[in-house]
Amino acid sequence: MPMQENKKETDLLKRLRSLFKIEAEERLKAMSAGLLELEKTTSIEKQTAFVEAVFREAHSLKGAARAVNMTDIETICQSLESVLAILKRKEINPSPELFDKLHNAVDTINKLLYTAAGGQVPITKLIQQLADLETGKQTSGTTTEEPIPQLQISFPADPPGHDTGIGTAGQDAPDIGERPAVSETVRISTEKLDSLLRQAEEMLSIKLALDRYVTDLQDLQDMLGRWDKECAKNHQAIRTGKDNLQFAKLLEFLDWNHNCVKLMESKVNTLIKLTENDRRSIGGNVDNFQKNIRKALMLPFSSLLATFPKMIRDLSRVQNKEVELILQGSEKEIDKRILEDMKDPFIHLLRNCVDHGIETPAEREKNKKPRCGKVTVTISQITGHKVEILVSDDGTGINLDKVKESAVKKGILSEKDYNKLSKQEALELIFQSEVSTSPIITDISGRGLGLAIVREKVEKLGGIISVETGPQTGSSFRIIIPVTLATFRGILVRAAEQLFVIPSTNVERVTRIRQEEIKTAEDKELVSLKGCAVSFVRLADVLELARQDNKDKSSGYILVLLLGTAEKRIAFAVDEIVCEQEVLVKSLGKQLPRVRNVSGATVLGSGRVVPILNIPDLLKSTLKINTSAGTVSAAETLSANKKLVLVVEDSITSRMLLKNILEASGYSVKTAVDGIEALTALKTEDFDLVVSDVEMPRMNGFELTSRMRADKKYARLPVVLVTGLDSREDRERGIDAGADAYIVKSSFDHGNLLEVIDKLI
Amino acid sequence: MKKIVWNEIYNRLENARTAAERGLTPSHEEKKMILRARAKILAQAPKNKESTETHLKIVKFLLNGEKYAVDSAFIREVCSLKEITPLPCTPPFVLGIINVRGQILSVVDINKFFGIPGKGANVLNKTIIVHTSEMEFAIPAETITGVGYIARDEIPPLPPTLTNIRAEYLRGMTGEQFIVLDMARILSDKRIVVSEEA
Repeated sequence: MPMQENKKETDLLKRLRSLFKIEAEERLKAMSAGLLELEKTTSIEKQTAFVEAVFREAHSLKGAARAVNMTDIETICQSLESVLAILKRKEINPSPELFDKLHNAVDTINKLLYTAAGGQVPITKLIQQLADLETGKQTSGTTTEEPIPQLQISFPADPPGHDTGIGTAGQDAPDIGERPAVSETVRISTEKLDSLLRQAEEMLSIKLALDRYVTDLQDLQDMLGRWDKECAKNHQAIRTGKDNLQFAKLLEFLDWNHNCVKLMESKVNTLIKLTENDRRSIGGNVDNFQKNIRKALMLPFSSLLATFPKMIRDLSRVQNKEVELILQGSEKEIDKRILEDMKDPFIHLLRNCVDHGIETPAEREKNKKPRCGKVTVTISQITGHKVEILVSDDGTGINLDKVKESAVKKGILSEKDYNKLSKQEALELIFQSEVSTSPIITDISGRGLGLAIVREKVEKLGGIISVETGPQTGSSFRIIIPVTLATFRGILVRAAEQLFVIPSTNVERVTRIRQEEIKTAEDKELVSLKGCAVSFVRLADVLELARQDNKDKSSGYILVLLLGTAEKRIAFAVDEIVCEQEVLVKSLGKQLPRVRNVSGATVLGSGRVVPILNIPDLLKSTLKINTSAGTVSAAETLSANKKLVLVVEDSITSRMLLKNILEASGYSVKTAVDGIEALTALKTEDFDLVVSDVEMPRMNGFELTSRMRADKKYARLPVVLVTGLDSREDRERGIDAGADAYIVKSSFDHGNLLEVIDKLI
Repeated sequence: MKKIVWNEIYNRLENARTAAERGLTPSHEEKKMILRARAKILAQAPKNKESTETHLKIVKFLLNGEKYAVDSAFIREVCSLKEITPLPCTPPFVLGIINVRGQILSVVDINKFFGIPGKGANVLNKTIIVHTSEMEFAIPAETITGVGYIARDEIPPLPPTLTNIRAEYLRGMTGEQFIVLDMARILSDKRIVVSEEA
């Protein structure tokens, strides 16, 4: 029995902790927003208000933390409160260092929140720092009559016996006055809403199924009609010659038969009427229901954008830049799922602005610009279904020559085309993966993947992205995306015995051509449609499906869909065009985050699952097929021999950690304890990549890199520097030495390192 | 002819009757004794009985001639496998996609993933949906042969004949020669994820 009670208690605590997490997240968000505002504002009055607000959040969080036994969080909140209390009494001056420490405290709580029960986040140092802030005031400032502990009395702590149940809820109390007594909103976990939404969307298949039933019933009706007619005809014929007893029996049967069919016909008729009515009403209901549920899941942009001021602040401090982020129109609402998908694009774009766009204050002053750079995010509704997102900065703008150089280096652009490119065409190159203007890979950027990812995500959401730039005026990215993940119309086609959906928006024309109309030029097949020559391919070939050679098409015609955009159009041959219908995109599941040429799947009225084709991909794949016919399956040949990586690191712990991580990811690893040993190792074996620490005895990472670069044999061997030094100078030293990538340990997550290595070899 | 002794018969009948009555309604003491004895048996802690703390609950299944077992902690559900829609441009171990109550899931043939040629093409009737918070897919199976328990800390190791490529994905082999899959390892393996651009 006591065991069970224990279990109940832990269950309760578990539930409470998950609630606490939600609450804490909100409070921490509010705290960091408050701190940011506080740092920005100069009005004394506003300062007091913000200090007060942050103070209250910290206090509430402290109480809630105590309720769920999160002592570390409680302790930090306690210290935070004390510091804020002195700040409130204006006994210390707000300084950037102070804010750093306060932000740090908020971050630490956030970390604690996400550390599993057993995990450890060191907090003693932080507590000491916060305590120093307090005492710092006491030594330098005037001594006050009111010692800090007394302050806590004015905010009486909950009695220790206070039980968990109402603990968290009760903590909202200090917020009265800000919030209306009765809230007009109810908090529902997004998980629940998500499943509701999925159910709602599932109703679409009921609607589609009903369509099918109606057609089936109508077929049945037709059949019965024909039967009835036939019966009547024969009936008449038999009736004319009645001379025999057997005929009488047959007549009787026919009469019965006739009545029976009549009855069935009338039944089918009523059924059709009923089903049709049902379909109409269910169809209407489903549409409305979906619309409303979708609306329920609309979130304002601010729910995402709110996290960015802090990110920009941290980024710019690291880079010694001054950047102000201005958010406009963030109250506009958009489907939660789209917003989630837009998170990475936003991060990439904003990082780009800070990293590449905005100059250092000194540079800006030289160019007669205000010291502080400006990054603006503007959201505006352009139609009922679409919003425009404008991310712009007033930095140096994009250096087109560098873009072109990078493209040439990566073999995307030929030297020949280098000078022919128009400004707009050159600008388009930045969306190509691997093109980067940055000379080195860092944690933040330079991999040349960012903008490619942004474009891919935006296009996947059915949006478009464009960019404008001017020297010294900065650059601006314009994204137009739909507000809801609506169903769209798609054309159901058959190729190589399989069904596929092609989004109707990508289909310019559906037509049929004769076999003779296909011309061959330079190994490419072409057809002429309305006077324009376009390349011609078979959909089955592009999708790498075995071609069905049944050319017994009675008509002798080939069905063709003209797909693509104005500049790039390709004619795809299919075996059959089934119909056009409403489809709902579903993801392919976690194991298939990205499949070539397939963007998702949909479920037909019959319950059958059909892949939806990704048209931008198809166009790209087609080009590949045309240029290198026969190498389609080359992608399948995975490298059987493992890549060999040399890890140079003086700390045994780090060395073993790196070795394990890399081996787990399928690399072979050799180690060296410093630069000298590394050089020796390089002579004995052929390595594919070197991962090196910077600070090491005897020979450091910079020196090792330069020595390698000086040697012809290793000049092209990729070098990744992993370091604790995070400064511009060091990064530049890394570039000078010739390193390919520079990763800072503080933000050293393995995914990042692996991604970089993967990219380099 | 033998003479019938009626008295004897009456006596025997009488005895039988009391015996029968006593048998049906045991005395109070007897009842107590019987109940106590039963309670004692029931109260005994099951010896060697599988508990979730010391034992792993496994689901056993057949796939193309291979006998496999999966830790039930990773199983979301087991359902019948109807129609698999093949997906172009995916590696051979992705058999296709299925619709499970409105959710699309990929079907992964683990034999093909391990690089073992399956023996014969049998009808795949069932599917086991395995998941962690980061990963989820369906494993096809010919049949589910049942549920069993295996001691957590002493899963018998694989026979040396089985230490081929897939050994890193396996935890051991049960007494009935079911290969226990290391589902945590498989589900977190980057090689199983298909993420490819055109």
